[in-house]
Amino acid sequence: MRVVLAGLGTTGSHIARQLTQSPVTELVLWDPKPRRLDQVLGAVRAVASAHQTITTAKELTPATLGADVLVLGGPAGTHREPAAAALRAGSHVVSISDEADEVADLLALGSLARSADRALVVGAGFCPGLSCLLVSHAAAQLDRVDVINVYRAGTGGPACARQHHRTLKHSGQEWLEGTWIVRRGGSGRDLAWFPEPFGARDCYRGALSSPLLLQPQFPGAHRITARMAATRRDRFTSRLPMLRPPHTDGGPGAIRVELRGRVGQAVETVILGVMDHPSVAGGTVAALAALAALEGRAPVGASGLAGWPTARPLLADLRQRGVRVAAFGGRLTDLA
Amino acid sequence: MLQLARRVMFALSLAGLIAALFRLRGTGGVPPQSGGWREVTDIDLT
Repeated sequence: MRVVLAGLGTTGSHIARQLTQSPVTELVLWDPKPRRLDQVLGAVRAVASAHQTITTAKELTPATLGADVLVLGGPAGTHREPAAAALRAGSHVVSISDEADEVADLLALGSLARSADRALVVGAGFCPGLSCLLVSHAAAQLDRVDVINVYRAGTGGPACARQHHRTLKHSGQEWLEGTWIVRRGGSGRDLAWFPEPFGARDCYRGALSSPLLLQPQFPGAHRITARMAATRRDRFTSRLPMLRPPHTDGGPGAIRVELRGRVGQAVETVILGVMDHPSVAGGTVAALAALAALEGRAPVGASGLAGWPTARPLLADLRQRGVRVAAFGGRLTDLA
Repeated sequence: MLQLARRVMFALSLAGLIAALFRLRGTGGVPPQSGGWREVTDIDLT
């Protein structure tokens, strides 16, 4: 079982660590920064099992890409070409990109993935990724899904923080009554309650990719939206370059998914959430998606994690690795 | 001019009266008094 991990930023290094706690026998690491590559190699070798071989690659060549699975853990915007090349070389591919345009391009590689009989797992990080699993799990509790609202807060490493900054600036798409609607980034303030102790945060629209990944799986839904938490300063400075370097890790973060639909004739709402460090939880999701692809449990073609037959095994594995999901239960009968 | 001032006074008084009625008689509802976040356990995932 040979896995190539490309990109060793904050989330990428967590993916590497998680892959050492698995049946993977050969892990090949690659990063454009040689110093970073050496740092992560040393850290990962220290925790790897005796049966595991950890090596590095100097560049991503077709030979390197010809692994069982290629995990793209680098910054968003760098995943398109390696994903296509790896599929042509016969690898399964797992991407953590959350950039809307890139996610759309990766989903468009579905025919290439199907012709290669390989899985291309798109958006396998914190949000999208873990959020898609939550939506899938919540949808399993409903007979019909009408509305899906996804909220996220927090960032992973510096590359994720830069992506957060860009996302708030650009317009995004929402699915509304059978068509895509373009919404301005930074608009649509909505107060979302995340699991405690994270609590309530104002969330806004942006160029978020979750609706793109969820709509193909829930074609009957009337409304699919996504929002991200931001402060007044984030909104004010979103049109400017980042004024100061981002934090090494922008956690903790949180996800809230809210689904409305029907169980029989009754209208029901299911709310699930997670509070964790986005880099840690996202890295764990990507590593588990890679293992599922290795074991042939990932569906052939390009899809997000909401497109998998069931989210329960992955959520159970995540729970074993310390990522805890919470469900919100309030009683509407208490309303006066 | 006097008529305009009278109309403004009348409009403000009416608005104040309606607001006071809403304030005294209306209810904003009571937030849920029970429930909250609970961890999804292994049993929920089997």
